[in-house]
Amino acid sequence: MNAQPYTPALARPRRVMVLGLAALSTGFASVEMHRLLAAHGTTVPEMFVLGLFALCFAWIALSFWSGVAGFIQLVSNQRVPGLRWPTEEEAAKPLSRRTAVVMPVYNEDPAAVFAHVQATYESIAATGQLDAFDFYVLSDSTRAESWVAEELAWSELCLRVGGQGRIFYRRRSDNTAKKAGNLAEFCERWGRRYDYLLVLDADSLMAGDTVVRMARLMELNPGAGILQVPPQNVGRSTLFARLQQFAGRVYGPIVAAGAAAWQLGDSNYWGHNAILRMAPFIEHCGLPVLPGQQPFGGHILSHDFVEAALMRRAGYTVWLVPELGGSYEQPPPDLLAYAQRDRRWCQGNLQHLGLVMAGGLHPMSRMHFLMGVMSYVASPLWLTFLVAGLFAALHEWFFAPATLLEFQATLPGGDAFDTVGALRLMVLSLALLWIPRLMGTGLILANREEAARMGGRFKLVLSVLLEGVVSTLMAPVMMLFQSHFVFGTLLGYKVNWSSQQREDTDLPWSEALSRHKWHMAIGAVLAALTVAVAPGMLAWLSPVILGLWLAPAISVFTARASLGLWAQRRGLFLIPEEVHPPTVLVRAQELAEDELEPVGDALDHVLTDPRAHALHLALLEAHPTASVPVALASARRKLLAGGVEPLSPQEKSAVLLDARTLSELRGRRLGVQA
Amino acid sequence: MDSVTTHPFISFAPAMPQAPRADTQAALVSFFQDFGFTARGDLEKLAGWILGTRELSLSPEAALALARWRVEGWLAEVLGPAHVGPALLVRGRAAFVLVGGARWGADVLMRAPSSLPEAWRRAVCEAVPMSAPAEVPCQMREQVLVLNPFMDMLRRWLRPAASQAGVSPSR
Repeated sequence: MNAQPYTPALARPRRVMVLGLAALSTGFASVEMHRLLAAHGTTVPEMFVLGLFALCFAWIALSFWSGVAGFIQLVSNQRVPGLRWPTEEEAAKPLSRRTAVVMPVYNEDPAAVFAHVQATYESIAATGQLDAFDFYVLSDSTRAESWVAEELAWSELCLRVGGQGRIFYRRRSDNTAKKAGNLAEFCERWGRRYDYLLVLDADSLMAGDTVVRMARLMELNPGAGILQVPPQNVGRSTLFARLQQFAGRVYGPIVAAGAAAWQLGDSNYWGHNAILRMAPFIEHCGLPVLPGQQPFGGHILSHDFVEAALMRRAGYTVWLVPELGGSYEQPPPDLLAYAQRDRRWCQGNLQHLGLVMAGGLHPMSRMHFLMGVMSYVASPLWLTFLVAGLFAALHEWFFAPATLLEFQATLPGGDAFDTVGALRLMVLSLALLWIPRLMGTGLILANREEAARMGGRFKLVLSVLLEGVVSTLMAPVMMLFQSHFVFGTLLGYKVNWSSQQREDTDLPWSEALSRHKWHMAIGAVLAALTVAVAPGMLAWLSPVILGLWLAPAISVFTARASLGLWAQRRGLFLIPEEVHPPTVLVRAQELAEDELEPVGDALDHVLTDPRAHALHLALLEAHPTASVPVALASARRKLLAGGVEPLSPQEKSAVLLDARTLSELRGRRLGVQA
Repeated sequence: MDSVTTHPFISFAPAMPQAPRADTQAALVSFFQDFGFTARGDLEKLAGWILGTRELSLSPEAALALARWRVEGWLAEVLGPAHVGPALLVRGRAAFVLVGGARWGADVLMRAPSSLPEAWRRAVCEAVPMSAPAEVPCQMREQVLVLNPFMDMLRRWLRPAASQAGVSPSR
């Protein structure tokens, strides 16, 4: 138990250490870079390169020192100070406060969604604390088929587990403010019934004892506004996803423990697998609509960081609690799905730039905004750094009279180039990237049982090396993807908020070639330029060039579940959750395999299936729509005229919202006007 | 004023056997199909239950009103007073269909609920769809964020009458 109350003074020495060491490392590396660049005097482009280098290096230095903090935290095997943990006696008591477990969904696979809800429900029930929880599936689904399938899946779930009156389903027909608006609407209607709000994502899964401990920590720490348990990637079979799961399992604990160790009560909220204190959330976290146009104005897209900042502004602490465990989510199945998710998050995070200077925010909240921005902007910065470096070299050639051979001598591999100094800097940069990985690997290797659950020590090390190779080859592609997203967003690229692809399906070559054609072209141009201008740099750039050339093949092959399962059978990229899966995960997978009744055409299904019809009308009766949809008149005209003209999606939804029209149509289907 | 549910008016004419109107019969069949009944025998039995032994020449509307009244009475007894209200038929029908009540045969609706097996009654009660509990409305107020306090201060200093351009709320 740690009853030390949280004060800013508690965090200061930790922050000074991490931020100070990151600043020192950046200063050292920048001086070294300046020395390399200034061999023949410093030009303006070289100063620009130096500035970019300092920024990029500061980012990896901060990640490195945060990782070191995480390593020390994990090795010390102590909890971070500032949170009061329950005694054994307190932990055995029934929870006295009520929690709403909410899962916002948007056109997801209902089988998976409700499998996760049921597994979490049963897991909480097994703790004996179910009475303290209610469950809500908050649908923002716009596809009529998803909507009707969700209703049926919800009613089946309630019947299966006896969950009527405890598991609820609500669909919004108006998607204002997307997920944040979905949650806000819930809070405005039912929030006051609960003390805490546990937010899940559509692919989230949480162990019952974790959920109960989160609620208990909220009870014991009235100053805590948000507790975030970092979700672990699990449950997928494609090679790409298994690589993500493996990387998250090896390096994730270091990253999470590091962030928790120096951020303490000023941590961040990641939008799901977190518990929030309801009253201050309602009172202080209503999101503003930002002035101006997209990408910086309008509704806030990535609501989580802003809600955490507002909660912190109101005086409540925000904690990252990785030691609780039992928090899961699914990674995207392939590289393109991963990039698609990144595109969405990128715009959301860039929007936070406009909030960095906002009045009244905690300095750490500003830092979280900047770190979120940097997680995407780092890619174009590195890209600009590379291009600017090339430009600076060419600039020197153009403005300083020299032959091509003399110029080449100043480039990597040339006689006049300080190869040792450059190598030293490169090794330092690579060390900052790799040492946290090695620390994570070392922690697992030191634990015989954990290593055995990850395929044994030999397979573990082999997996780390292979994962390193694949992620190195993927890095240039991700850099180009993210650069495209960042530049696109800044130039007014609109983000289409479609639901994520969550199935393990093979990626067709045609799609991969179409998505990566420009990456391959850039790789070819880069290789040609390098050979023409500075052949000595070819070896240095080979991982980048190879990664770009092989991008379609990497996307296609890593998207294959067959390859992922093949690697699993050979003990590669294993995570303990695959070898000894926790009960909640096993249960969710079992349930997800159960086929749900397919809903081919929502309207047809509601009109022909008595179950769907009766249930749909009962739910409409419970929550009638305030206004008649505009599309209803045209839909009725089409349907009641007996024509064959198909309904538009809006018309179909409008009919599904109107009980009278549905009853009339059903009557007609049954041969009688009701 | 409290509303009172009254028995729909049915004219009890002197017994004079008549064939049921086809449209009335069809309306009742359709009504009970919505409860999940599909067997012809069950549907005819239920239509007969509504029309009575003398098979009055009721209009479809009157027959449906009578059917609703009878089924609502049955549902009110099975589900209890908490569910009695305008949504009783819709919610009760959903519960009956979801639990697969039609598999118990037409007799289940024709019998007094008190004579039904307790497990059946409980099953119907537990299947009543309850999509959300009672609301406790409140407002989640949009927070005010001065996006750039320094610029805002400068703007106000330069032009005291200027509006707050850097303030975020939409209203």
